[in-house]
Amino acid sequence: MPAFGQSIPHDSAPGHVTGGAPYVEDLPPLHGELWVDFAGAPVAAGRLRSVDAGEALAYPGVVAVYTHHDLPPGGVNKFGPIFHDEPFLVEDEVSYVGQPIALIAAETRDAARRARGLVQFEIEEAEPILTIEQALTAESFLGPERCVARGDLDAAFAEAPHTLDGVFINNGQEQFYLESQACQCIPGEGRELKFISSTQNPTETQAVAAEVLGLTMHQVVCECKRMGGGFGGKETQSAIPALMVGLVSQKTGRPSRVVYRKDDDMLITGKRHPYRSTYRAAFDGDGRLRGVELDFVSDGGAFADLSTSIMERTLLHADNAYHLPAVSITGRICKTNLPPNTAFRGFGGPQGVVVIENILQEIAQTLGLDALDVRRRNLYVDGDPEKSVTPYGQIVRDHVLHETFDQLEQTSDYRARMKRTEAFNAESRTHVKGLALTAIKFGISFTTKFLNQGNALVNVYTDGTVQVSTGGTEMGQGLNTKIRQLVADEFGLLPQDVVLMTTSTEKNHNTSPTAASAGTDLNGTAAVNACREIKARMAAFAAKQFESPERGLVYSPENVVFEDGTVYDDRHPESRFPFGQLCDLARRDRIDLGARGFYATPGVDFNRETGRGNPFFYYTTGAAAAEVTIDRFTGDLVVDRVDLLMDVGKMINPGIDRGQIVGGFIQGMGWVTTEELKVDASGRLLSVSPTTYKIPNITDLPRVFNADTIVNPKHQINVRQSKAVGEPPLMLGVAPWLAVKHAMSFINPDAIAKLELPATNEQNLMCMTALLNREKAEVELG
Amino acid sequence: MRDHLVFYLNGQRRTAAGPEALATLTDYLRERRRLVGTKVVCAEGDCGACSVLVGRPADDGSATLAYHTIDACIAFMYQLDRAHVVTIEGLAEDSRLSAVQDAMVKCHGSQCGFCTPGFVVTMHGLLEDPGRADHVTSAVSGNGRANGSPVQPLPQLTEDKLRLGLSGNLCRCTGYQQILDAGAAIDSAAVVTMNQRFPARPVLDDFAALGDEPVRIETELRGVPRTVFLPQTLDQAAAFRAEFPGKQSAVASGTTDLGVQHTHGRHDPSAVLSLTSVSGLDRVAIEDGVLVTGATASWTRIERAVERVVPEYHAVLTRFGSPQIRNAGTIAGNLANASPIADSIPFHMVMDAELDLINPRGARVVKLNDFYLGYKQLDLAEDELIAAVRTPLPTAGQHLKLYKVSKRRDMDISTFTAAVLLTLDDAGETITAARLAFGGVAPVVLRLPETESLLAGQPFTKDTMRAAGQHARTEITPISDVRGGADYRLQLAENILVKCYHDLRPEPVPA
Repeated sequence: MPAFGQSIPHDSAPGHVTGGAPYVEDLPPLHGELWVDFAGAPVAAGRLRSVDAGEALAYPGVVAVYTHHDLPPGGVNKFGPIFHDEPFLVEDEVSYVGQPIALIAAETRDAARRARGLVQFEIEEAEPILTIEQALTAESFLGPERCVARGDLDAAFAEAPHTLDGVFINNGQEQFYLESQACQCIPGEGRELKFISSTQNPTETQAVAAEVLGLTMHQVVCECKRMGGGFGGKETQSAIPALMVGLVSQKTGRPSRVVYRKDDDMLITGKRHPYRSTYRAAFDGDGRLRGVELDFVSDGGAFADLSTSIMERTLLHADNAYHLPAVSITGRICKTNLPPNTAFRGFGGPQGVVVIENILQEIAQTLGLDALDVRRRNLYVDGDPEKSVTPYGQIVRDHVLHETFDQLEQTSDYRARMKRTEAFNAESRTHVKGLALTAIKFGISFTTKFLNQGNALVNVYTDGTVQVSTGGTEMGQGLNTKIRQLVADEFGLLPQDVVLMTTSTEKNHNTSPTAASAGTDLNGTAAVNACREIKARMAAFAAKQFESPERGLVYSPENVVFEDGTVYDDRHPESRFPFGQLCDLARRDRIDLGARGFYATPGVDFNRETGRGNPFFYYTTGAAAAEVTIDRFTGDLVVDRVDLLMDVGKMINPGIDRGQIVGGFIQGMGWVTTEELKVDASGRLLSVSPTTYKIPNITDLPRVFNADTIVNPKHQINVRQSKAVGEPPLMLGVAPWLAVKHAMSFINPDAIAKLELPATNEQNLMCMTALLNREKAEVELG
Repeated sequence: MRDHLVFYLNGQRRTAAGPEALATLTDYLRERRRLVGTKVVCAEGDCGACSVLVGRPADDGSATLAYHTIDACIAFMYQLDRAHVVTIEGLAEDSRLSAVQDAMVKCHGSQCGFCTPGFVVTMHGLLEDPGRADHVTSAVSGNGRANGSPVQPLPQLTEDKLRLGLSGNLCRCTGYQQILDAGAAIDSAAVVTMNQRFPARPVLDDFAALGDEPVRIETELRGVPRTVFLPQTLDQAAAFRAEFPGKQSAVASGTTDLGVQHTHGRHDPSAVLSLTSVSGLDRVAIEDGVLVTGATASWTRIERAVERVVPEYHAVLTRFGSPQIRNAGTIAGNLANASPIADSIPFHMVMDAELDLINPRGARVVKLNDFYLGYKQLDLAEDELIAAVRTPLPTAGQHLKLYKVSKRRDMDISTFTAAVLLTLDDAGETITAARLAFGGVAPVVLRLPETESLLAGQPFTKDTMRAAGQHARTEITPISDVRGGADYRLQLAENILVKCYHDLRPEPVPA
């Protein structure tokens, strides 16, 4: 039986449930290993005048305190995935609260922790820029403004019977991986360093460590066995802890380890970008869009990190699943005195998607139409010469968006529940309900072309077992389990005959981060390609064994089949080799049973100067219906019911895909409901632990929760016709926010609620109060 | 006097002395014992990744240990004398997965795996839960207890039980659905309870052989002399408190707050008075309409005791901290911690609770309404201890409503709390007396005397309650902080009385 399509458990599940699967912090201490901690900037902006480490150095157990002065000759105190603009340790300018200035290396974790409070800084404080508004006033930006546009927007607005405009505010979101940033460094021979890192990006860690520490890439190895969650937060920013231990091990010659404390991690690492998005829409009486103008402004934080790529994805997802006839989309990134914001599942997509969904919701309220009808009228139409073309020129093809809406409308009982919602709101004095059905169309591929590549190493052993190594990293998403299934099927083996090995730059080099939902697409295809090379050699060898002039069987590798742990010639299937036996024989015949596979996604490219191109290999699509109830007196929000329907292609592992769909949705729901980042007037983040930052709890899981997939026979590409599933469902999480917006329309039907994101209980109550006061004020005026 | 701790860890007898007695349980497990399956994420008791089971001699005469799940990151070793700690490593028998572990694997209950040990341990805790008989849907055949008591069928865990029972564990990957699936799929016939896995008798005999002498550990940590004292009686406790009054000693019971202070470097006491071993101090009883709770009664015990008699209080308690926090945290700790957003205080204030205090000079009683003198300032002498809390329960004609508003429904600290106690006349038309206590609106939980008198004698109508709400705004001085803005809190204070009206006079809910 093929492994494809089976819901086999995560390959680390037995280790997870017994506590036997180690993370960086769990690895046994090595002889002489040091603990590393850091002292960060106490203010958000200023000039560092001096560092006094005397007291810290005197603390029992402290071995060394290092600053940027301790970087080796040839080292560069700058890094960054796109622009090299971020110092590893503060030299002169302080850019955000907590920014690392000094490293403390000590014999024990406790000593390092206690000594860090003894490092004294002299800082000349400056006025920080802490909001998008302040940055706009100061014209403080990162990177250039980007634009995607088509059609005659002025004409569209001049001719359309209706228009609306507004400003959409979304807050950021903490990745909240449970395992904090962590890295161990082991010095090797000469100047070699080996990093055991919790990272989505071993190659980048290797490259950054080499550059900053004055090494060459071939002196550095980075490994990652598993992460306790990543969600984008360990795509670039995992390099910083690696540099910390790298410098300590380089200077002391001893192994070292750093594990961020949760509140440090939340204080100093970047998050999902807050945006301030200005919008204007022109539309028909039936809700069809004629023109849309969108100006996105994000808070990039103090350094560029991935902000330009993230904004690019916002521009490319501002259409979401809807055809925008005339459109202008611009994006600017503000530079502020906050930690550099970074990747987080969705990567700018959510900030684009939610704005257009909000516009359609507002159009429905303005025209008194059902929002689902409005959305449906604007959906991309497969095969339509106009209504299938995105603003950037890529054709949206082979999708089932209309079928998804149709099916979800039925299975979620949307029409009847909309009637019940209206009836409820007409009667209830204590609660108000809302219902919204939203879509997602998410482009799969890195929008930076060169990253769309992967490589894999497959070793077949003479007992018929297989080890696979790829550049992909396992952060819980089940990448290794899916590749296990793909490889098992290639050789006709059971999944347990295949093991995924620790990711290491020694085995797989020049790799891309495990990101953009493309981990399985890139690394899985590379692994399959490696298997096919090995199989071709084995088939040629096997064909020689099956060749039999007496039986009229000529030499024919094409007839060799790998199935059920055996290898046979399909013209004479009774005679079979057990797979392992054939491997052993092949080796004795000097056949190479290992291969390195490579894959580059075909046909993708995007010109960011012109805003035109085909950045995506395909799209993953879906829809969500969410119903919410809000307490009119407290603003308390409950998400009562959610129905999800997604096209994720043919599933390699439905159990894992279901986990991605549900988990992604709930994470998105957290972004739009309870997850609120609060920064004080000095620029210090206040919500730095789960005590004050509230991700969804198990009791927030909607009581009625249906997650299903839809078959799409038109999707014929990608590895075994699967689709990427990691990020897209997160953006279905905006449905509860739109349901809140819908609920607000019942508080005062004549006013569009100025609802920000997240719709916290506080936001809901204050929004309702404002709507009621406005109603009152208008009544008094009338 | 014993000078070391005696406890069991995954069935093995262990002792701890010296500075080890002051370590957190997670530091001990991970660093001293290299049991690294127990994960630390927040070190504040707010995620459950560090959940472990702690068994103590059951008080139902059953010769078993009663196991509860706690957050090990904010527990200290000195609390674990005469206890059995079971970690994730203690659950799989001979490398065979437990029924819970097996279900979690099969149902895709883990993704990144970092929260998973905590969930597995907590699920095991739910299967231990002595209150489980109240929550069963169906009784499936089960195992007999190792001690030979009658075969007790183990229940399947219901969705409600799982949701509330796991609300102290955060997961960022799964969205929880597949964890719930796993909980529902646990093969109850294959569940091995802790008393089956680890025979209780030898442990109990060993603990009994320790006798009833207190434990006193004199040691040194980071160059500072330290004393840890575990009294067996309240008198011993009072004597020690007199020896180390005020800030000279930390009074520890559940340590759900001290543990957090420790994480943040704000708790480094030279002497600790741990009340966990004082016998009988955790009793909970309802006597003549008065809820009597000993100082170290855990919230879990109180929650069970009031479930039928004051369902309104019970409902708020189910949202107090998390199950792990309620298993450890105690009533005296919550009242003495004096947080303006403590979930228990408003109820006890409107019910006019009294505190029994003891000191070397004797005993005295203070009303809770007089206990708070200012932010974290108490009418409690430096050598005084809270012994018990006596809280009259609502009588006929008294209508109690309790509110907790927080950013997230469960495992969250309140933004605003309110207790409303209205006495209505026989017809239910007129308010004869009103007591209001609001939290999160001032440095202490506040009674609202003006609004209370405004309500007295008024007809019980929406207009009355609205006017009272508007007046309540003038009696409070909320601040803006990470949990909410001052405007929001003012609006809540105004609205909550109207909400209370609707709750007491419900209209038919539309279908």
